[in-house]
Amino acid sequence: MIRLTLPAASDAEAAYVARLNTGRGGVDEADAALVDEDAEGVTYLGRHGVLAIDGASATELNGDVVIVDPVGGRAERILRRGSGHNTLLVTERCDQLCLMCSQPPKKTHVDRFALFEQACLLAESDSLIGISGGEPTLYKADLLGMLEHVLAERPDLEFHVLTNGQFFDDDDVARLRDERYARVSWGIPIYAADAALHDRIVGKDGAFSRLEKSMAVLARAGARIELRTVLVADNADALTRLARYVAKRLRFVEVWSIMQLENIGFARARWASLFVEHARDFGPIGDAIDHAALHGIRAQLFNFPRCTVPEPWRDLARASISDWKRRYADACAPCRERDACSGFFEWHPIQQAEDGVTPL
Amino acid sequence: MLLVGDAGDFALAERPMVERLCADALTDDDRDVLSCEGLLIDDGDPLGRVAYAYGVAERIGHAGALDYLILVPTLRCNLSCSYCQVSRVAERSTGFDWNEATLAAVLRLIDGLETERVKIEFQGGEPTLRPDLIRAVIDRCERIPIRQFVICTNLQRIDDDVLALFDRPDVFISTSLDGDAATHARQRTGDGATTDAFLANLRFVLDRYGPTKVSALPTVDPARLPDMDGLIDSYAAHGIDGVFLRPINYQGFARKRHAEVRELDAAWRDYHSAFVRRLIERNWEDRSRVLEETYFSICLRRVFQPGADRHVDLRDPNPVGVDYVVVDHDGRVYPTDEARMLTRSGVIDLAIGDVFDGWETEARDRLNAHATNRFDPTCMGCAYQPFCGRDLVDDLSRYGRIDLPRHETEFCRRHLAMFDLVFELIYSADPAVRYSLARWLRLPGTPTEFGVRLS
Repeated sequence: MIRLTLPAASDAEAAYVARLNTGRGGVDEADAALVDEDAEGVTYLGRHGVLAIDGASATELNGDVVIVDPVGGRAERILRRGSGHNTLLVTERCDQLCLMCSQPPKKTHVDRFALFEQACLLAESDSLIGISGGEPTLYKADLLGMLEHVLAERPDLEFHVLTNGQFFDDDDVARLRDERYARVSWGIPIYAADAALHDRIVGKDGAFSRLEKSMAVLARAGARIELRTVLVADNADALTRLARYVAKRLRFVEVWSIMQLENIGFARARWASLFVEHARDFGPIGDAIDHAALHGIRAQLFNFPRCTVPEPWRDLARASISDWKRRYADACAPCRERDACSGFFEWHPIQQAEDGVTPL
Repeated sequence: MLLVGDAGDFALAERPMVERLCADALTDDDRDVLSCEGLLIDDGDPLGRVAYAYGVAERIGHAGALDYLILVPTLRCNLSCSYCQVSRVAERSTGFDWNEATLAAVLRLIDGLETERVKIEFQGGEPTLRPDLIRAVIDRCERIPIRQFVICTNLQRIDDDVLALFDRPDVFISTSLDGDAATHARQRTGDGATTDAFLANLRFVLDRYGPTKVSALPTVDPARLPDMDGLIDSYAAHGIDGVFLRPINYQGFARKRHAEVRELDAAWRDYHSAFVRRLIERNWEDRSRVLEETYFSICLRRVFQPGADRHVDLRDPNPVGVDYVVVDHDGRVYPTDEARMLTRSGVIDLAIGDVFDGWETEARDRLNAHATNRFDPTCMGCAYQPFCGRDLVDDLSRYGRIDLPRHETEFCRRHLAMFDLVFELIYSADPAVRYSLARWLRLPGTPTEFGVRLS
């Protein structure tokens, strides 16, 4: 597992953003340049003074964009160089309380939009930056402002924003039609076509109806949408009906991701009652994918190790798990399809992983 | 009763539902179900309204920039098939190949293409009589990132120049195989030795390149319908799974020798339907390969997957002279290959311009003013309108006019029968049918149902 937060010492008074630079090549004013490296860690010097980071080498950190928190004594690797999985967690508040939430919400909000914006402006060329929460659109004005500034300054960047789609309204249509939003895709969860079931899974009355309203807004704006459905025991048998709903009412989405459960957050305690053993019975999932494909909706599978998916649907299983929290079972060692495979979450029950794989 | 919305959403309503619908006595549940199927928009359902608008927009055919050229470098041919569709002249004739000025104009046309991809089909005559012209065109496309070339050839002779063209990974081969050797000889080659030469060459290119690079079409004589299994076997034996059944074309010179074709249309439709059913049986008996009739698959896909428009005979609107054109041996430009044949047969001049001065002409605009089924009074009352298209040239070839009531045209009768068959099979409970439909729709598995029933 790759550590995203490292112990760090700095004399600065407030949090700041820096790009770590080994010193070779051009040094920008936002860069902290390497001055020393030993067994403990690495020392840099930038416009905010000396920065000492422990627990990683200069080679690993080279090019990373970090937020340094001098008071908390840590550096967060916000945009790791060369990673396709950089995600900004813009708030930990949320208006929903999903049964299986992997990142249970907190009551307080720390506003770091200004720091995130500076970080994004330093991003590697042509990168895709994820935005997550909590629910990012609880701070819709800040969020859209940040996206628009960054996208205007950096025509090479793209964003993927995870949102529950509870806060878009008619006034957003004109704004979201701006050409900059062609470089933003919205990852939006839907758990069932049945309003009552969806509302129960997300823990909020009226959520489904509000989601439909937001979907109409996003469709009218020509927004790019990735639909996301986490598979749980509650919605497994309703998946085909959801596929039909997507094919009829949400045809404008780019892709529909069906996601296997992550064993963390609320899902950890409820694992036995939530986890669907798709390897034992792939039927409902395959049927849902077939119904979507029938109507020209592209479905893909996230967090489904490839060997656990029957052959006709296997190519839809993506290497979806972020690099820093992905691992493979020991039994995966001889597998030919490992690089194309999601593997497992770092926190997936180890025995379940070892017993569940058959190297391809 | 089949309910179909403007966006092509559909459901089979059983009698109780039909009665409630006609009596304006829908229950709340009915309204929910119909909304969900895209067949009703309730007040206060903005998503339903957007989904409807999006669905209708998806059904509207889109003709982009010019990226598909059908080129006829020569009209000369080394065969003389009884029904020659393309109109041809003897191999030794002169004055029927592109001259230098025509070639130069074609190359200028290629230089002016603005797309990232291009598809060029070489027709004839027999285009391999002029490999130098094919080579010149292909070389000129070098700057275009995605290129595909199809050489439509009778495969009678493959010399070194032609082989060098075939060897290119961006070149594909399309040929005619009319069934077993006797049928092929009767309709095309005339004698056994010529047939053997063709079959040997077909075997040679299939062995050398595999079936993905080689496609073949049968031309079927409706007056002598071939044995279905024999025809299927002649393709299967060559490793070719897709058969595009093509009746002898009523256009071109075929018109002069096969005047009875018009009366044979009904027999043809029955044959086509039986052929599709036979493929379903064979696919179910032998799961190791999926045989298909290409035109049926195109129609089937259009029901479920709007935007499946690459087969331009069935898109709507279907403007001509926009994203594809035909350039004849003399540099004249036609909207379709059929239009070229029709002109050649002396029925009507359907050229829309030429490669020297372009084809943004009044002739083109006049055709395009009518290139849609959207406002046709018959089509507007037809459940299959969202899936169907408009083919002006077909109407002109048969009737010399385009204003016949649509249901009196062969185009309409043929497609009504086609979509009747499609929907009969969609609602079939037979697992063999569902299996083939799913394969023809390119689905990973076989869905539990292809269409809903409302009771």
